Amino acid sequence: MAETTPKPWGETTVVGKPLPRVDAYERVSGTAVYTLDLLLPDMLHAATLRCPHPHARVKKVDFAKALKMPGVRAVLSDADPEANIPWHSGPGGKPASRLFDSHCRHEGEEVAVVAAESPQQAWDAVRAIQVEYETLPFVVSMEEALKPGAPAVQEGGNLGSKPNVYSRGDVDKGFAEADALIEETFTTSCEIQSPMETFVSVARWDGDNLMVWDSSQGPFAVQSGLARLLDMPLNKVRVISQFMGGGFGSKLDLSKHTVIAALLARKTARPVKLALSREESFLCVGNRPAHTMTLKAGVKKDGTLTALQLTGTGEVGAYPGSTTVGGQVMELYSCPNVRTEETSALINAGQNRPMRAPGYVQCSWALEQVLDALAEKIGMDPVDLRIKNFIAVHQAQKGLPYTSAGLRECLMEGAKAFGWKEARARARGNGTWLRGVGVAGCLWGYAGGPPSTVIVGLNADGSVILNMGAADIGTGTKTVMAMIVAEELGVPLDRIRIEHADTGTTLYSAPSGGSKTVPSDSPAVRAAALDLKSKLLELAAEQLKTPVESLELRGGEISARGGSQKVAIGNLAALRQQQALVGVGKRAPNPTGKTARPFAAHFAEVEVNRYTGEIRVLRMVAAQDSGRVLNLLTYRNQVFGGLTMGIGFALTERRVMDQPTGKMANANWHDYKIPTAMDVPAELTCVPVDMHDHEWNNTSTKGIGEPATIPAAAAIANAFYHATGVRARSAPMTPSAVIGLLSQGKVKG
Amino acid sequence: MLRAFAYQKPASVKAAAQAAARPGAHILAGGTDLLGCLRDGVFTADSVVSLSGLPALKGISANPRGGLRIGALTTLADVAGDARVQESYPVLAQAAASAASPQLRNQGTIGGNLCQRPRCWYYRGDFHCLRKGGDTCFAVGGENEYHCIFGGAPCFIVHPSDTAPALLALDARLSITGPRGSRTIPLSSFFVLPEKNVRAENILAAGEVITEILLGPPQTGARSLYRKVRDRGAFDFALAGAAVVVVMSDGKVSAARIVLSGVAPAPWRVPEAENLLAGRPLDAGAISQAAAAAVKGAFPLSKNEYKIALVRGILEETLASLA
Ligand SMILES: Cc1cc2nc3c(=O)[nH]c(=O)nc-3n(C[C@H](O)[C@H](O)[C@H](O)COP(=O)(O)OP(=O)(O)OC[C@H]3O[C@@H](n4cnc5c(N)ncnc54)[C@H](O)[C@@H]3O)c2cc1C
Repeated sequence: MAETTPKPWGETTVVGKPLPRVDAYERVSGTAVYTLDLLLPDMLHAATLRCPHPHARVKKVDFAKALKMPGVRAVLSDADPEANIPWHSGPGGKPASRLFDSHCRHEGEEVAVVAAESPQQAWDAVRAIQVEYETLPFVVSMEEALKPGAPAVQEGGNLGSKPNVYSRGDVDKGFAEADALIEETFTTSCEIQSPMETFVSVARWDGDNLMVWDSSQGPFAVQSGLARLLDMPLNKVRVISQFMGGGFGSKLDLSKHTVIAALLARKTARPVKLALSREESFLCVGNRPAHTMTLKAGVKKDGTLTALQLTGTGEVGAYPGSTTVGGQVMELYSCPNVRTEETSALINAGQNRPMRAPGYVQCSWALEQVLDALAEKIGMDPVDLRIKNFIAVHQAQKGLPYTSAGLRECLMEGAKAFGWKEARARARGNGTWLRGVGVAGCLWGYAGGPPSTVIVGLNADGSVILNMGAADIGTGTKTVMAMIVAEELGVPLDRIRIEHADTGTTLYSAPSGGSKTVPSDSPAVRAAALDLKSKLLELAAEQLKTPVESLELRGGEISARGGSQKVAIGNLAALRQQQALVGVGKRAPNPTGKTARPFAAHFAEVEVNRYTGEIRVLRMVAAQDSGRVLNLLTYRNQVFGGLTMGIGFALTERRVMDQPTGKMANANWHDYKIPTAMDVPAELTCVPVDMHDHEWNNTSTKGIGEPATIPAAAAIANAFYHATGVRARSAPMTPSAVIGLLSQGKVKG
Repeated sequence: MLRAFAYQKPASVKAAAQAAARPGAHILAGGTDLLGCLRDGVFTADSVVSLSGLPALKGISANPRGGLRIGALTTLADVAGDARVQESYPVLAQAAASAASPQLRNQGTIGGNLCQRPRCWYYRGDFHCLRKGGDTCFAVGGENEYHCIFGGAPCFIVHPSDTAPALLALDARLSITGPRGSRTIPLSSFFVLPEKNVRAENILAAGEVITEILLGPPQTGARSLYRKVRDRGAFDFALAGAAVVVVMSDGKVSAARIVLSGVAPAPWRVPEAENLLAGRPLDAGAISQAAAAAVKGAFPLSKNEYKIALVRGILEETLASLA
């Protein structure tokens, strides 16, 4: 196995270049087979009967009619002993529900499934199942849920978690020392991840071996989940998740429909596909929980932060899930006195799941608007205030230094690219459209780490197989990893075959989430390529009778530096004889005594229509410190996608729960409004800031997916304030909300 | 998932009208609205009668007596892109261009646009509401941010069409063929409010097919525009909008038509506002009086009061831009 701490790259020939994706042709031409496209011989299609009520008990399920319908092969419900699988936990971790549970705690909970010869027959049969429900009192908003006497979502009440308190210093003292104080309450809406490909699994049994194709970010997490629930060893569960159409955090772990597909496939002895419709995807496979945050902050005249205090409540849905938002309050800006207190509320709605930078986006909405308000109070430029409070150590982890921290550089280089000073000074206009600019900073709480094990194999003709467990969830993972192999071995990209995201043929990799795939797996890829290279050089040294130190590999040839001996890889006798050579790489541990974070600063210019409340985002600049850029195109893709999601968070996206019925009113892509091309400005600028972090890992990378979205919405909100003089405390800022704000506030003109 | 239905493709308007008159039959033009309704189970179809065998209903031609005839099967994209429409009836070109998305405008027809079913999320969703034969309008106590502020009760939908207010502001007429013959009616008598009929948005009887839309000759001195405000830049219906036609002579308004979208179960004409403009220059005073008059009598629900300010804002902005 290779030495795991090779020298950092200097000049590179492949890494960093704006190369198109290695699988662009398949994706664009439609030859890529996504799980949703998969058709196996003899495959059955399943459809799910879901509880239409926010809270109900299933009294009776009558399958008689459904079972007689054409094409129907099986049904599965709580009545089947094999489906007696514990699923969600309640507060305190107690088991709260089964795969199909007669106690349905939100609209969309699974009651039964049907497998039939065609999807149409399956759905016709689902509609023919007769269910008797006893409806129960429900609550679908966190304000109502926490009131005394509210209907209980779980037996123990509606508090999803005990108050979680973090504290350092003395906030009261800090507030007393401040020259200016701000205290504001902010709310953010529940968002749905809405990946392009909905949720789908195909399961097939071969004897006692289970094979599952799943639209997943984490095939190994799905594998271990299935193995645990079905009591099988890992070697008998093979999960494949190759082409997949996005997840944004909602597909990190095992979902019910995957287990159900496996059970149905076993019951029918046929392959089974279970796909969720778009509408189903809105109800029961995750969301970014709504949040209420009260933030109090103190600052001295010179811009020194004296205290930050956050109290927050997240709206988790019917089963507890993580909703913490406090990370950036504790860590982003230098502040001696910090206190956060967080709780969560249960409501009768689908459980939350991570969504692109969970917690950090919500927190940014509050924290970055408060920073802005403080800057205004002390008459300081908002960029300068953030720079002033930059800190290079992790304050909540005993002052652990960051291996690199580019927030200051992001703010400065972003401001330069944006033309911040000039744009801020420009007239806001007093006509129909009011103009403003805003900034927001961020960090993201992860930067990857072990484990990851990667194999790079060499064929006798010098072409290469890259074998890694990581999924490519649409971000370009395959491309950047192959580029690393190409960099180290000097082989062109089209001589590299990629095997990935298949638990049967590749080795463990953590789910692709948390912006961790590049900083976790790319160092292992590099280590594997280098391991292979050193073995190759050894073979050449033997053949050329030259010391290995004098050899170099370039363009498929090994030659002696300064000498004349050389040999093409394909002409290595030993390789010809053994026909294969393999290098293995492992992700080395992160350095001890230090930590790492990606940082970013976003800038936005907006226009607000004083008559109609419409907001137009005119342009945005994103300056990102995510370490080395492996591929400028895929990097920019992440940044522009991140900005787009930020626009959605700021302006359009929200789940609407119908309060009287407890049902989701907008569970479709027309009423749940993700931004369109018309909502995203043509002028988006990505400014990579590379701090040359050679300590964190051997590719100098920190991850881009999440820090590319965190501060975008807050930058827009700050620009809105700059344009109008009115604070938008609630996201999203729809025209109806803005009209309300403009009529209450006094618009500067 | 769609349920099974029979499919027919008649070769004449008359045959289409007869086929469509059968119970459980639905007319299919571009299908962008009908198929969505069927897929979502808003209603069911025993048979679907496609108009795609009737090419004569597609296209725009000059009316011999002046004005234009727009075949009911003309796509929204073709209406929006037609040079004559852009030149003489900009309000209509803009309204057609503001609907939906490019793909939907390439497929959706103007006849279908007038007949599309409401977008109320209770009507479209899993709620047995009044319009579907139930006994509750869920909007009354529910999430009514997108519902109407005029003409509601007992059902509070808004009419979804962007072209309807523009056509109404242009005094368009419709040619209709039914199983028992043809008629031509002014568009102003086409739409019905829920108090009259809570199950339908227009007066079409079973089997009646809109064949064409007739526009009179453009008036000299006419200026027009359609302004639509929505939550996002495309693929979205109006929160509120206005189709405005003003005829100017000697610097004064000689005639005005203001028809609002997104605020009522039918395109909503506001005659009081129109009258306030008549005979006056389009100055700040006239504009703000007209804008205020337009929202007189509005009856907001719990979450849509903003529409009052929005309508005023839209009119102040658009009338000023026509001045
Ligand atoms: C996501 C989405 C967004 C949209 N946004 C907008 C928008 O912003 N503004 C807007 O105005 N519209 C919008 N629409 C509606 C779209 O413009 C209409 O769906 C389209 O114009 C309907 O035309 P069609 O030919 O596809 O109608 P179809 O779907 O074929 O028919 C619609 C209805 O009209 C009936 N019908 C059709 N033609 C005739 C006829 N000639 N005579 C009698 N009855 C007929 C059908 O029976 C059916 O009930 C949107 C639609 C979608 C799906």
